[in-house]
Amino acid sequence: MRQPQLIATPPPHLKRRETVGGAMRDVIIALLPVSLISVYFFRGYALMMIAVCLATAVLTEWVFRRAMNKPLTLHDGSGILTGLLVALLFSPTTAPWTAAIATFLAIGVAKELMGGIGWNRFNPALFGRVVVILLAPVLPFLNQTIMPWGIDAVTSATPLALLGQGATMPGSWELFAAFPGGALAETSPLALLVGGAYLLWRGHINWRIPASILATVFVLTLVFGASPVQHILTGGIMLGALFMATDWVTSPINNRGKIVFGVAIGILIVLFRLILPPTEGVAFSILIMNAFVPMIENLTKRPSFSEPRDSSAAAG
Amino acid sequence: MELKDIKEGEGKSFEGGAHVPHYKSFTDNIPISRMAPPAEVIIPLQQHVGASCDCLVEVGDKVEVGQKIGDSDAYISAPIHASVAGTVTAIEARPHSDGGEMDSVVIETDQEHSEFVPQETRDPDEMSVDELKEAIKEAGLAGMGGAAFPTYVNINTDQPVDTLILNGAECEPFLTCDHRLMVEKADELIAGAEILMRCIGAKKTYLGIETNKMDAIEVLATKLEDRDDFEIVPLAVKYPQGYKSYLIKTITGRDVPRGARSAALGCIVRNVGTTFAAYEAVVYGKPFIERIVTVSGPVVPEPGNYIVRLGTPAEHVLREVGVDPDELEGHKVIFGGPMTGLAQSDLRVPVVKNITGVLVLPPDMVREDVSYTDCVRCGLCVERCPNWLYPNQLSILAEHGIYEKLEDWDIWDCIECGICAYVCPADRPIVHFIKRAKPIVDEM
Repeated sequence: MRQPQLIATPPPHLKRRETVGGAMRDVIIALLPVSLISVYFFRGYALMMIAVCLATAVLTEWVFRRAMNKPLTLHDGSGILTGLLVALLFSPTTAPWTAAIATFLAIGVAKELMGGIGWNRFNPALFGRVVVILLAPVLPFLNQTIMPWGIDAVTSATPLALLGQGATMPGSWELFAAFPGGALAETSPLALLVGGAYLLWRGHINWRIPASILATVFVLTLVFGASPVQHILTGGIMLGALFMATDWVTSPINNRGKIVFGVAIGILIVLFRLILPPTEGVAFSILIMNAFVPMIENLTKRPSFSEPRDSSAAAG
Repeated sequence: MELKDIKEGEGKSFEGGAHVPHYKSFTDNIPISRMAPPAEVIIPLQQHVGASCDCLVEVGDKVEVGQKIGDSDAYISAPIHASVAGTVTAIEARPHSDGGEMDSVVIETDQEHSEFVPQETRDPDEMSVDELKEAIKEAGLAGMGGAAFPTYVNINTDQPVDTLILNGAECEPFLTCDHRLMVEKADELIAGAEILMRCIGAKKTYLGIETNKMDAIEVLATKLEDRDDFEIVPLAVKYPQGYKSYLIKTITGRDVPRGARSAALGCIVRNVGTTFAAYEAVVYGKPFIERIVTVSGPVVPEPGNYIVRLGTPAEHVLREVGVDPDELEGHKVIFGGPMTGLAQSDLRVPVVKNITGVLVLPPDMVREDVSYTDCVRCGLCVERCPNWLYPNQLSILAEHGIYEKLEDWDIWDCIECGICAYVCPADRPIVHFIKRAKPIVDEM
């Protein structure tokens, strides 16, 4: 008999329809609410920031992949997502070239030079953001701001700075829902929570990391006599807990590790907040813990189901 | 919890695993029926874990249906029998569903005389335990759920084993042969369980059934209403619930450390199909010459649960259900379930003792594109691995040839259920990497 050309690839023959690209697209969707609120407050400034970062991200990824002779991966959306995350980390008055350089460092150095998505040790967006902060003292042009076009919101001090100065704070509800100040992503913890809830529902992030970060910050600020609610609602905590610390590649892969990771980040954030100057403490905290991920995974590795246990000796 | 309160899909379960679409509605309401024997059967001399059989016939011999045609002196082995009456036309290597070739006895079928007629009917209660065991051994029974471990070896324990677990989980998608058996042959199944209980000295039998088979649970619950030596355990619908270790843990709470023998665990797990075959072997002296096979798939005109003679070529099975084997360009034909079964490239391969299903997946269900990317560490495989392993690590180490590290990550504990590759968003063939690495690690 004639043999038809059957497909004979190895099992499993069924496949869940989720892809890396689909997950990245969902994270981008989850960031839309906060992006829109930042555009509402900051108008052209926010739009320009996002446009610059997205364009730089795409261009950098394309150039690096071509230069290293690797297949293009723009379609997986992770480069675009990193660009959007970098944009959301900046204040609208930041000079566009600063944001562009941060994006270039994020995609080019933190991701592509490390071997591409999956191999990077540090969260690319946070890496880009923090390196421009560290470079600013020697490269002063990174610190330049662009003059606002008469939008009051932009000039007001950030809530985190107010918190640091002990000044009168806006109401908690205002801080929670929408308040212009600080970086694009700091305008609305509520919008970030909506996005985070969407990611939890879609199964792309694990609740253990954001829950352990927020719980740790809440408890520690309470212990040190600070206001837990105001701390959680200001600065980059919400963005960090829901979108940065949950990054698949740079967080522990096992559940127990995720909790250790989250608690450690929470402790560092509170140390930065209460002891050090109030600048990008969340970014530094997450990046520091990124470095410890392999160690955390080793320490929290769960033994195989088949590993002999004491209880089995008793039962046997 | 009372049985009547159990809702479809709910039930006891284990930690890990995942819900996989079950595609069982093609055949779960179709009664078991007989498939006509093929013009020629191809019976491999090894259809079980253990030693291959020596051939007892020669080319040209006439054989009766049920006649023993292969046996071995080795302890871990199981005899094989002619599944039809007819003439031996060849004894040679033939394509086998595991991908290679295997020495096989080819019999040209005598359609007139191929019906198996029992010589006598025996009452198990009047037989000694040794007689029961002997009947099971002579019938050539081997695990029908997939493992194909010789049943006689499994039940021939030195010390009594207090618990028998009947595996009616049938967690692989598409398959419904065990489901139909439990609905239609409940009395014989219970009698078969009683035989196995006597063989191993068990006091109690648990029937683990996934709750997507509520009719089977109802039928068995009615028949077992007054029995305290039987208990039905409704299981959550989750893959791979039917794997032995997780079934034991789910039902008894006992841990299953690597290398532990069933006797040491105090329980033995048997597939319901095997249990039914044990009943037929003991009562009718019927050797293992046929089995129920689910033939299914969205493009199969007459899907169903068919009693198929062992040695029936895939091509015959497909023609009998209305599939033209020449029109399968770009399709997949799978022996077994879609999670662990093997896709066939040669349709001359025969159905053997542990083949639960013959499935046809059309091109839109087939993942032809085998491109994959690097691991993005999403953690799904780690969360879903029923054996709590790190499939991502195993796949990366195997992919890059770092074989010496694989034992540190417990590669031998991997049961190859395939859930890791099923959930992987980067489409990595994780379980394939692991399977390919095992023989290399073994050589080291």
